Amino acid sequence: MQESINKDRKTKYLNPYLGGVLLGLVLLAANFVSGRGLGASGAIKSGVVSIVTAVNPEAVEKSGFIREYQGAHAGSPMKSWLVFEMLGVLVGGFLSGALAGRLKFKVEHSPKITSKKRLMLALLGGILFGFGSQLGRGCTSGSALSGMAVLSLGGFVTMMAIFGTAFALAYFFRKNWI
Amino acid sequence: MGPLAVNEIISENTNLLLAFIIGIGFGFVLESSGFSSSRKLAGVFYGYDTVVLKVFFTGAITAMLGLLFFSLFGWVDLNLVYVNPTYLTSAITGGIIMGAGFIIGGYCPGTSFCGASIGKIDALVFIVGLFIGVAIFGAGFTLWDNHYLADFLGSPKVSESLGLTDGVFALILIVVALGMFWAAEWAEKKFAREEY
Amino acid sequence: MNSRLWLAAFFVPLGLIIAAVPQNTTHPFKLTAAEMLGEVSTRTQFITPETVADMIVKNDPSLQLIDVRSQDEFEKFSLPGAINIPVSELLSDQYAEFLDQEVKMNVFYANSTVAANEAWMITRQLGYTNNYVLEGGLNYWFEAILNPKEPSAASSDEEFARYDFRRSAGQALGTGVTAVQPAEGSKMSSKPPIQAKPKKKKAAGGC
Repeated sequence: MQESINKDRKTKYLNPYLGGVLLGLVLLAANFVSGRGLGASGAIKSGVVSIVTAVNPEAVEKSGFIREYQGAHAGSPMKSWLVFEMLGVLVGGFLSGALAGRLKFKVEHSPKITSKKRLMLALLGGILFGFGSQLGRGCTSGSALSGMAVLSLGGFVTMMAIFGTAFALAYFFRKNWI
Repeated sequence: MGPLAVNEIISENTNLLLAFIIGIGFGFVLESSGFSSSRKLAGVFYGYDTVVLKVFFTGAITAMLGLLFFSLFGWVDLNLVYVNPTYLTSAITGGIIMGAGFIIGGYCPGTSFCGASIGKIDALVFIVGLFIGVAIFGAGFTLWDNHYLADFLGSPKVSESLGLTDGVFALILIVVALGMFWAAEWAEKKFAREEY
Repeated sequence: MNSRLWLAAFFVPLGLIIAAVPQNTTHPFKLTAAEMLGEVSTRTQFITPETVADMIVKNDPSLQLIDVRSQDEFEKFSLPGAINIPVSELLSDQYAEFLDQEVKMNVFYANSTVAANEAWMITRQLGYTNNYVLEGGLNYWFEAILNPKEPSAASSDEEFARYDFRRSAGQALGTGVTAVQPAEGSKMSSKPPIQAKPKKKKAAGGC
């Protein structure tokens, strides 16, 4: 049996195919129970809307963005499916990490760059992703993964754009990873 | 008959509670598969770690098959399940920007929460970036709202656009995914790197 | 390598099955045969000509008469405000919005009740509500409303009241709309309520 050199010796992860099947079952459950797929960036949107309405109520009237959000979501922005789901993600991730002994505060980075650089890249990546997820009406979880499961055309297009772009740009950022 | 919340078999509050529980499952599976590590996530773009591809596509075909079979058995009404709408221009541009964010930041929103839950500080910073990015989008909304709303095609399914039935398309996707898994294993052997 | 083979062995056959099987398009709101039988036995789909006449005379906007006979017959005689949807064309797209709605009360009529009942059964099978059948059809309409039989002296008060109503309705319908006084103590069969279609809102998703 061939083993890839990169087999994780220190950290034990699930067989990725098993993980995939389990992920698919979770996604199936979400669709069966709630009629929608998983997601993540929408929870961030709820968070931003809540913060803005709390801090600067006048901005709400002027913002087409917030009005569009409120049009689609009645009631408190934090009482949304995605917010509850993401809170669950935090708990689930923590449980899994705890069980596997992976809980540790650290900045994960390639030995070729500093921690500080990694954090700046993470921030920049987050800003780009946050912006892009609003344009794309979803992130990899909501648009790509869940979209694919229901065969949405928009989901597939977004998925291909995300992975295609990342592959295309990978060469230019390789020093940060390998 | 599903979806339970839409057919009002469960209440809205139960729906939210179940969202929390489903989220726990989601987070647990992601973290167990290694999605809490930005290095593993970025690995698919360099070949040394293709966990993203394997988990992602296996998950997609599992859920897709699951839904189609549920519909076949009459357990779910697919007409009531949310299908993401297609706004072609922004789907592409949004995807491009997200792709850049992915390769630079090494996370996506869901996985960043996973990473943050086990203490990864870079994941936490990524989340801060997410908030900023969303806020920028919202603040400047009027600058790009036309772009955002352009090319609305409704909520077509890929199978419809290609003139195939859902089932045939699912089969094709399964075969494609399996092909990719074989390519992925090959890539991991060829481009292997030490874990750090 | 092992995992991938297991995966393939599991997914490919399932994929083949799902590709081969025709897509399931059952809608949960369609009625089963047992449900249909139950409704047909209770005969709730019938509306008396008095009720319809009352609504016409009062210009009740929630009434929509639908003539299910052929176009020729419709053109020869039709009830006020009726539209023509022959039974053979009941399922065409252009009429769907008339039949599947929750604002008006559709009353199918024909010469007798046979064709109208057919129309009702077909639309009920699709899960549509708010469709009814004129009891007795046009034949009974003529007899009851336009030429009501005078009750004999020994008939009950109620029969007299009904006769009075029918006569005034007939006059109103025949000669134009005049005020019709419902006879005292008359109990017109109450209009069935218009049922709102249970709204199934799709869940919001995305992001």
